[in-house]
Amino acid sequence: MINMENKLHVSDLRISFHTTNGKVQAVRGISFDLEKGETLAIVGESGSGKSVTSKAILGILAGNSIIEGGEIIYDGKDLLKISEEDFHKIRGDKIAMIFQDPMSSLNPIVKIGRQLTEAMILKGKARQRESRRNFNSYLKELNTSMKEAAKAAGRSDDAKIDDLCKRFETFEKKHIELETAYNTAHEAAEDAVDGIDSITLELEKNAAKDMDYRLKQIVTEAKTSVQTYVVRDKAERLNELTDGLLQEAKALKKEGNFAKTVERLTELKGILEEAAAKEKPDFFAMGYWLTYEKEPLPDVPVEELNKRLYDRVSEGFMKEFASYASAGIAFAEKKSAEAKREAIKVLKEELPLYQAEGQLDKHACKASLDKLTEAVNKTIDPLLTVKDSLAYTFSSGLKSEIDTYFKGIVQNVKELKKHDKLQKKYDAQMAKGKDPGWKVPAASVTDLELTKQNMAHLITRLSDHFEEALQNDAGADADARTETAVEYLKTNASGIVNKVTKKTARLRAIKLMEEVGIAEPRRRYNQYPFEFSGGMRQRIVIAIALAADPDILICDEPTTALDVTIQAQILELINKLKEERHLSVIFITHDLGVVANMADRIAVMYAGKIVEYGTSEDIFYNSRHPYTWALLGSMPDLDTNERLEAIPGTPPNMIYPPKGDAFAPRNKYSLKIDFEKQPPMFKISDTHYAATWLLHPDAPKVEPPKAVTERIRRMQKKREAGQNG
Amino acid sequence: MDNQNVSQNVDVELKDNVLLKVDHLCQYFGPTKAVDDVSFEIHKGEVFGMVGESGCGKTTTGRSIIKLYDITSGSVYFKGVRVCAGTGSYKQAIKDAKAAYNEKVKTASEDEKKRLKEELDRTVAEQKKLIKEAQYDQKNCDKEYVEKLTAAVKEKYEPLLAGASAEEKKKLSAEYRNELRKAKNSKVITQIQMIFQDPIASLDPRMTVRDTIAEGLVIRGERDPKVINEKVYEMLDLVGLVPEHASRYPHEFSGGQRQRIGVARAIVMRPDLVIADEPVSALDVSIQAQVINLLNDLRDKFGLTLLFIAHDLSVVKYFSDRIGVMYFGKMVEMAPSDELFLNPLHPYTRSLLSAIPLPDPISEKQRKRITYNPLAEHDYSVDKPSFREIKPGHFVMCNEAEYQKYMSVLK
Repeated sequence: MINMENKLHVSDLRISFHTTNGKVQAVRGISFDLEKGETLAIVGESGSGKSVTSKAILGILAGNSIIEGGEIIYDGKDLLKISEEDFHKIRGDKIAMIFQDPMSSLNPIVKIGRQLTEAMILKGKARQRESRRNFNSYLKELNTSMKEAAKAAGRSDDAKIDDLCKRFETFEKKHIELETAYNTAHEAAEDAVDGIDSITLELEKNAAKDMDYRLKQIVTEAKTSVQTYVVRDKAERLNELTDGLLQEAKALKKEGNFAKTVERLTELKGILEEAAAKEKPDFFAMGYWLTYEKEPLPDVPVEELNKRLYDRVSEGFMKEFASYASAGIAFAEKKSAEAKREAIKVLKEELPLYQAEGQLDKHACKASLDKLTEAVNKTIDPLLTVKDSLAYTFSSGLKSEIDTYFKGIVQNVKELKKHDKLQKKYDAQMAKGKDPGWKVPAASVTDLELTKQNMAHLITRLSDHFEEALQNDAGADADARTETAVEYLKTNASGIVNKVTKKTARLRAIKLMEEVGIAEPRRRYNQYPFEFSGGMRQRIVIAIALAADPDILICDEPTTALDVTIQAQILELINKLKEERHLSVIFITHDLGVVANMADRIAVMYAGKIVEYGTSEDIFYNSRHPYTWALLGSMPDLDTNERLEAIPGTPPNMIYPPKGDAFAPRNKYSLKIDFEKQPPMFKISDTHYAATWLLHPDAPKVEPPKAVTERIRRMQKKREAGQNG
Repeated sequence: MDNQNVSQNVDVELKDNVLLKVDHLCQYFGPTKAVDDVSFEIHKGEVFGMVGESGCGKTTTGRSIIKLYDITSGSVYFKGVRVCAGTGSYKQAIKDAKAAYNEKVKTASEDEKKRLKEELDRTVAEQKKLIKEAQYDQKNCDKEYVEKLTAAVKEKYEPLLAGASAEEKKKLSAEYRNELRKAKNSKVITQIQMIFQDPIASLDPRMTVRDTIAEGLVIRGERDPKVINEKVYEMLDLVGLVPEHASRYPHEFSGGQRQRIGVARAIVMRPDLVIADEPVSALDVSIQAQVINLLNDLRDKFGLTLLFIAHDLSVVKYFSDRIGVMYFGKMVEMAPSDELFLNPLHPYTRSLLSAIPLPDPISEKQRKRITYNPLAEHDYSVDKPSFREIKPGHFVMCNEAEYQKYMSVLK
């Protein structure tokens, strides 16, 4: 069952790479969830498959990769199955990545500013289009549903409903227009205040750099802020203040005493601050008033105005609209519920086909797929603002499984033949007493039984999901849903009006640069990457990743090339942005030391598998897997004096993945069974799992190495000493 | 292996056991002061760690010592020999003197003027002499060393040759010539070797491991392939690789193995001083431990002296005997490593120490990072700072007021 809070759900992901030497199994069945606002750290050596996982999430795997199975579900879509076109909407926009090497991830011949704004401008256009589409289609669906509901109730209000929808559309656009103008002015006021803040001190000390430019900026911003509801009553005074400001400052420059300018700026700041603190008018209601009420707006304070406007719109138009809308939504829901009941029947009918012994029949499968797709698609409620991910991906998932299955039947024969041939050649060489110098790679055959099981699993899971949904939805609140629907329309409408121009993109880029801690962003904006140091370049990369305001941020070793102070700054920056924007972060690193503060949960990967998974406390204080111990033991801390416990040897060659636990040959605690059988995930607590035979009840008791336990003890002692002292 | 010793180690009596002395080293690139007035000493057998953020000049210092750059001013003494000498400070002195003269001469009487002129001429002559000396040292630092080496070789072979039979003589004289050539080709600077940060970029992809390791030997004049092979294999064995690896190319190795090749390349010259410039920063944690252990073993075995440049403070602390902290081209604090971590005095050092991530979630959440803002921390408008010794072996960059403050903190 997929949790609503889950941003990303990865299950049983398996990825291989075709190489001339054989198939490299880079990721071998990993599963994890990423919740909203959480940081998941994936830790492992190079070659453990952590970067491959992140690249799969972003859909930028190398060309020779094969996705063997599993799913990555984001926003109701399986990222492994959607088309490249669909991925364009997600990549960089919803899921962004900070790459490891800031040297190679920036274009050396394009200025920083262009690189920062490029995506913003492109995405801005795309988002505008998408919002328009969403708004129109949702309103249309709502319209249809309202009409149907009315018809079902025995009335025929078609004309009335059409009129309502039309009116809603018109005044909603007006609302957005007003709000955008307000937002621009409001932001300009805030920016001007910031600008004044920073320049006043410098002016007092007569140390302002590029004063002319900055003052000009402040004047422009202040003038932009003169708009109804922002700086209205004091507009005259503001104009007086700004008009001579620049000339005066220029004249004063010779004397070197800017007291007069500072005085002006302080007054200006007072006006702007007061304006910026004012309550925001209800533009939704105002839009309605201005469009349909024939009288001018009452001239009263904002609080009073809001109240009056709201009363008018909710008493009149909205009441009617909402009553129709909620009827429509309830109707659609009822329809969907009925379809679900029907679909459960169909799913159960079709299930035996996939559970049957022996080979499946191709035609029967295709027919059944069509039938199922039709039934499941009917259950999708178009008025649901949060999509039902399982129903959405069902048919594409099932189709791809069926395709794999029938392709596999043909392919397997060929592969086996090829393998037999090689094996014979090898045997012949061996029989002659020669060492061939190569090994026979395992035949890459599709596991048909597993594919079949996958199909059955998809079907049972969906029918279970529907049953659960039916029980839960029985008492859904139609009014609350109407509210959400109106909100949804409002957000999309604002998406239509919010335009990203070159100028706004530049302003946003400069703000972002400030946010990530780049000094003098205006000058830096026009520089090339080679003019930045490593740490600064990495900040630019972070700023680019954040430019599109993503949901999920993947950080692939973002600080490995940086020194401690910059590393600390970057980590704090990522943490801060995570808090502010409720980002979900996937943090990939080989250094356990840096994730202690960052991570909420940690997954330790080795040879393409997650070997231990738990909260950061679980991993640092109560780790159970020998590999985690080895990682913890091999890094020195400030009190380490004894010889470091290096992990002997190198990770295994994943063309021939080991039969048992992949870590066994390098593991000094390995048991006999480690070389023979892969350990399952043992559950230690609700949040903590580890895959090692040492956790089996029959296994001998093993204590973690001294270096690890000592450190925990030492750190605890230090903490206590710190608290007492 | 006897020959080896002759051509390698002409042991110089070290004063106070100081192997390397860096004296007011400045390295300017145009207006950028990459290294500005840095002085320190490294004693024989110790590991001197150098930390600081990127761009603070720690790598430049290392590279200046090994003469990859011509230094602007200051000197570097290696085994008592001045190997690097800059002329910038002398030139500046002349300029200053001239300016002062021009200023004073305006108001002075005739007699006074004459006296001032004489004084100026004297200063200029003095400084010019110093410049000449510096230029000579910078160019000919190897001369003395080579002379010593050749003398040692002659001393060894001449009595042998005198007392040898005709047949032995032929063989011996060939050996003698060979050794003499090697001695003449020697450079004192080759006894300082460097391990570079990036194990991928620092190895030539078209050279086999054997060629890479043997290159230094060949340049020094070793021509006997047998000797070369023997040494290469010995080194490979030392750093934990096998002789079969000698004929492979760098791309066939993993990152840790490549860094081992880099170490072998440096060690094969039997250097007295190794400058390790971030040798583990580009490696995985588990591999890092392997390389650090290797360096530790080599240190025990050869009594290596190391200048260890890194930004990972945990590693530096673990590995070094003394640590110097650099900030924007200046050395701001220098102390034995335990002392530095116990009593960090300079605000930059404290901010640096507070940024170290701890492998412990609870402490890590409580950790407060101190930021360093030089403008807010110091008031150097009147009282200029200098590098002062606060406690034996513990130096801090501070002015008088700060000096008093630090002293009271230590008590």
